[in-house]
Amino acid sequence: MRILRSVRHKSCADGSLMKEFLLSAPVTEGFFSYLENFGEVEALPNLGEGFYKFDKPDCFSIRGLAGDTTVEVRFRREVMHLTVDFLYLLFTSYREDGPVDVAPLKQREQAVSKRVKEHLYGPD
Amino acid sequence: MTEPPPIIYLNNAATTWPKPREVLEAVSQSLARPVFGSGRTTGSQGEDYVTLAREAVSSLLAAEPPEHVVFTMNATDSLNILIQGFLAGKGSGSHVLATELEHNSVLRPLAELERQQRIRLTVLPVDNGSVNPDLVESAITPDTRLMVTTHGSNVLGSLQDIYRIGEILHDHGVYFIVDGAQTAGHTPIDLKTLPVDAYVFTGHKGLFGIAGSGGFYLRDPDSIAPVRYGGTGTDSFSLYQPREMPERFEAGTQNYPGLAGLAAGANYVASVGVKAIAEKAERQTAFLIHELNKGPGIEIHNDSPELPIISFNIRGLDNDDVGFILARAYGIVARTGLHCAPLVHRAVDGGSGSVRLSLSWFTTDEECRIAAEAVREIAENADSSLGAA
Repeated sequence: MRILRSVRHKSCADGSLMKEFLLSAPVTEGFFSYLENFGEVEALPNLGEGFYKFDKPDCFSIRGLAGDTTVEVRFRREVMHLTVDFLYLLFTSYREDGPVDVAPLKQREQAVSKRVKEHLYGPD
Repeated sequence: MTEPPPIIYLNNAATTWPKPREVLEAVSQSLARPVFGSGRTTGSQGEDYVTLAREAVSSLLAAEPPEHVVFTMNATDSLNILIQGFLAGKGSGSHVLATELEHNSVLRPLAELERQQRIRLTVLPVDNGSVNPDLVESAITPDTRLMVTTHGSNVLGSLQDIYRIGEILHDHGVYFIVDGAQTAGHTPIDLKTLPVDAYVFTGHKGLFGIAGSGGFYLRDPDSIAPVRYGGTGTDSFSLYQPREMPERFEAGTQNYPGLAGLAAGANYVASVGVKAIAEKAERQTAFLIHELNKGPGIEIHNDSPELPIISFNIRGLDNDDVGFILARAYGIVARTGLHCAPLVHRAVDGGSGSVRLSLSWFTTDEECRIAAEAVREIAENADSSLGAA
């Protein structure tokens, strides 16, 4: 799955930056199950084809409805420069038709999380 | 070109949509033909949109004389001009009153002046959607010079008792600026009788104009110093801003398409009748609230708004989630978050923000029914999801 383009963005009341992304394929329940490897997922599965929200604290959150080719991403603005590449990687690494090897992604996630933590809270 | 999917637009407190056909035609015509402007020789084809708009707004709001209606970019622009212009030359230490209901268009200019130590600001708490006039009176001190407050809350849809507050303020010699961004076109306004010194309006909400148009009515021109200077097309030999109204406050080329739309919008409102608009809005708002109250976990923050504005939250769901689901799953355009009025949210939802549905004359009963069903469906899903957790 690829992010084709950012269709709109706005600054949110909580200081985050929202970007709406148009995707190459609809998001699915499987996509959000895959995202659970990297953060927390909340779901209202009976609403339409299902409403899902992925949250990776201090980095970004992703909202989407299954079957929809648009998702809404909210970035924590101060660290967006550190996290945006990882977000794109999460999308491009997902495959609907087969298993995803999450091991290299987990390694990347750890590196990103470490840099984010240092940026927000200082070195250990 | 493919037609976009139908939407139900319930974000009219931000900007009304759709606009009356008359407005679209007037804006289009203003761009298609030369305009008449003071000092311009545009021939007999040019319409004087500025005067048309001034007369239309003056007539709708009973704002006399029409020359005391001044055009600006929007309500925020008007409030900045009035607040800065009133306090100009008054030195530091003026005491100013506002309320928790204010939009940032009031709060931010005042907060900045407070930070510069030019004023002392008191923000009055609200009770059940409005400020008790007695509380206003008790907050007045010998150095109180100004009160700036909203007429109608853009979060709670409540009206303030502007008449009583104005009487109290005038008894104490306090200047009164009213932010009518949410009330012009929604509720009858009679500036002949309302005891206000300045009334602010915007073009793109209840008056059905387009964004970038707005203004204010000013009872006593000498009470406000101009804060903008420039060409007016009149008295051009003078290097000083004319004292006459409205040139005293209108420097630079006017927004002709915006004023053409504002004139058409105000005339449209007048032709329908503000009373008829208010009655329909009241009926539809009551229906929506009644229907929403049937849903589990829907907390409505004002059960009896006077304006067609309903703010609510759904237990267990972030307000932004609700807005996202309404938009993406149901095609319903709502507004979420703080609605640029941060202080009132501390009182009603703990500061987390709310979902807001706001109607206009063009909202249909069917749209209200669909919206209520959609919100209830979301609430029922959230409720069962919470129950399962």
